[in-house]
Amino acid sequence: MFSVHLSEIPRTTSFRTGLKFLGLFGFSFLALFGYIYWQTAVYLKSETDASLHRQIDNRRLQPPLLRKQEVIRHELQDAEGRWPQGLFSAQGEHIAGVIQTMPPYLEYEKADEFRWEKPGGYTRTIRFMAHRFDDGEILIASQDVHDIREFDELLVHALVSGGGLLLVVGLLGSIAMGYSARRRLDTLSSSIKGIIEGDLSGRLPTRGNLDDIDRLANVVNSMLDELERLMSEVKGVCDDIAHDLRTPLTRLIAGLERAQRRELREDDYAQTLESAITEARGLLQTFRALLRISEIEDSARRSNFARVDLNLIGADAAEFFEPLAEERGMTLTFEPSPSPAVMSGDAQMLFDAACNLLDNAIKFSPDNSRIQITVLVLPEGPGLRVTDNGPGIPEAEREAVFRRLYRSESSRHTTGNGLGLSMVAAVARLHDMSLKVHDASPGCRVDLMGKTVSA
Amino acid sequence: MTHVLIVEDDATTAEEIEAALFDHGFEVTCVDNGRDGLLQAFGGGFDIIVLDRMLPGAVDGLGVLTALRAASITTPVLILSALGALDERVKGLRAGGDDYLTKPFEFVELTARLDALVRRRTAPVTQERESRLKLGNLEVDLLDRTVRRGDRTIDLVPREYALLEHLMRNPGQVVTRTMLFEAVWNYSYDERTNVIEVHIGRLRRKVDGEGEEQMIHTVRGAGYVLRAPE
Repeated sequence: MFSVHLSEIPRTTSFRTGLKFLGLFGFSFLALFGYIYWQTAVYLKSETDASLHRQIDNRRLQPPLLRKQEVIRHELQDAEGRWPQGLFSAQGEHIAGVIQTMPPYLEYEKADEFRWEKPGGYTRTIRFMAHRFDDGEILIASQDVHDIREFDELLVHALVSGGGLLLVVGLLGSIAMGYSARRRLDTLSSSIKGIIEGDLSGRLPTRGNLDDIDRLANVVNSMLDELERLMSEVKGVCDDIAHDLRTPLTRLIAGLERAQRRELREDDYAQTLESAITEARGLLQTFRALLRISEIEDSARRSNFARVDLNLIGADAAEFFEPLAEERGMTLTFEPSPSPAVMSGDAQMLFDAACNLLDNAIKFSPDNSRIQITVLVLPEGPGLRVTDNGPGIPEAEREAVFRRLYRSESSRHTTGNGLGLSMVAAVARLHDMSLKVHDASPGCRVDLMGKTVSA
Repeated sequence: MTHVLIVEDDATTAEEIEAALFDHGFEVTCVDNGRDGLLQAFGGGFDIIVLDRMLPGAVDGLGVLTALRAASITTPVLILSALGALDERVKGLRAGGDDYLTKPFEFVELTARLDALVRRRTAPVTQERESRLKLGNLEVDLLDRTVRRGDRTIDLVPREYALLEHLMRNPGQVVTRTMLFEAVWNYSYDERTNVIEVHIGRLRRKVDGEGEEQMIHTVRGAGYVLRAPE
């Protein structure tokens, strides 16, 4: 089946999109976390500083003697050394308190940090503040910030490991997305390759969940349907042309050869020439009709569309064919729609289509039948309906009659080139109309109906 | 003699047209590209020009036509084209063409159309003749749309009247079924010549009454001619 090389994954759109999102998410993660970290650190620091100020304020209100006693008592109470204090004389000699040596500081009342050698032999980071009393003694108030530091470290640690996890999961996700997208595209492109190689019946696989690729595949599939139809039509047309033109060409050549072989009188020659010309004219007409159909199918012609009233077209067509119908004792009636049947279209082509339908109706119906051309205005748009009470078209042939050069068995003996209804079908397609043959029991009803509401 | 200029790049087609027009009694000059066509046409002396739509080289059919009309040369031009689409036809006529014929065509169609163009050009342009058309004892009053043959009034439905009027405007000329279809029905393309035949048949029954000499004649494989009774 399809193997997806790892090296191909970074080129997939999904992988890149995944990476982009990972980057974006990582950035916002960093920003958010950094902000929280910064805010926490600032808060903890200011809390510490406030407690240092409180300690100093307490001592400042005490007389020097009490102060010393309090510092000593504080030392006893604070056995863990969480808030160590130290009282020094103006000259910097140690008076009382657990802090034995004065830390270097730059300013009074300003918090700073130093590594304090705790009795017991280990050092702790403490945050301290120096205060000079009125009598010159100096108090070092401090707080052990080891826990805060640890909390900070924990926070950073969480950030790093969380970020790492995010990165790994994101990357793996992107790779998985890239992989599945790549696999899906590989399936699609291998189907497309199959189609390119000539298997026109192949279709792109869909998952049925109507996601974007599915929708694209559906569009491509409907395009392939149309292509297949056209291809088979072209092939059918080629076969049919070859088949259909062989007969008149054979007749033409046979007639000419006969004239060449036998010794004929002058008027026999004239006769032969005449029938050869008739035969050739028939061929020319078939070709002209074929060209006409392909011309109609060139849908660029839609640019020439104008507002057309089907009532006018129907009336023209009915008027045009009325004498022909009368000649065969048929009644041809035209029934316009009560409201204007206005649509956007090509009057010439619609007239031709109506003529072809009437022509067929007259050609295939027995003498003295009734033919009706009706203009209808339906919610889907205006349409033409031609009804006759002739022999009708067998159910099995109702699709086939729209194929080029198709002649039903029963129509072999009538004149025509089997292009009339194909031409109507082409006009219908160009106008986005539907063309259907129905049973009028007895007879045949052909509907050329609008599919969309015209503007 | 009517002098025709043919501008057609395909040698075989040109030869065939030349032969057909010569047989029809035209004097023919042939060129095979747009530049020479323009030079010849500017030189003058032609009654009509048959112009192929697609020509090799810098100047194609429409280019020739546009240049001619820009230079106020009004020689009638019939455009020949393999492009049959209605919009191509409209384009050709809009550029100043007088008629448009799609390949493949029949030569009777070409000659009939050329005759009509030449006639239109040579006919005296007078306003008063527009009120009445007369040929032999057949008379068409264009104002009250009545038709008389001798003492007999002929009742025609509008379409028959239009057919007759068109034939009356081209007396003695072959009018092909396609030309009639274009002129009378205003649609440009049709294969159903048999239907036109039926229409003409009806008209003929009314115009050429019993015991009267025939005026509407059928030209086999071509069309119809309206002639005054001898």
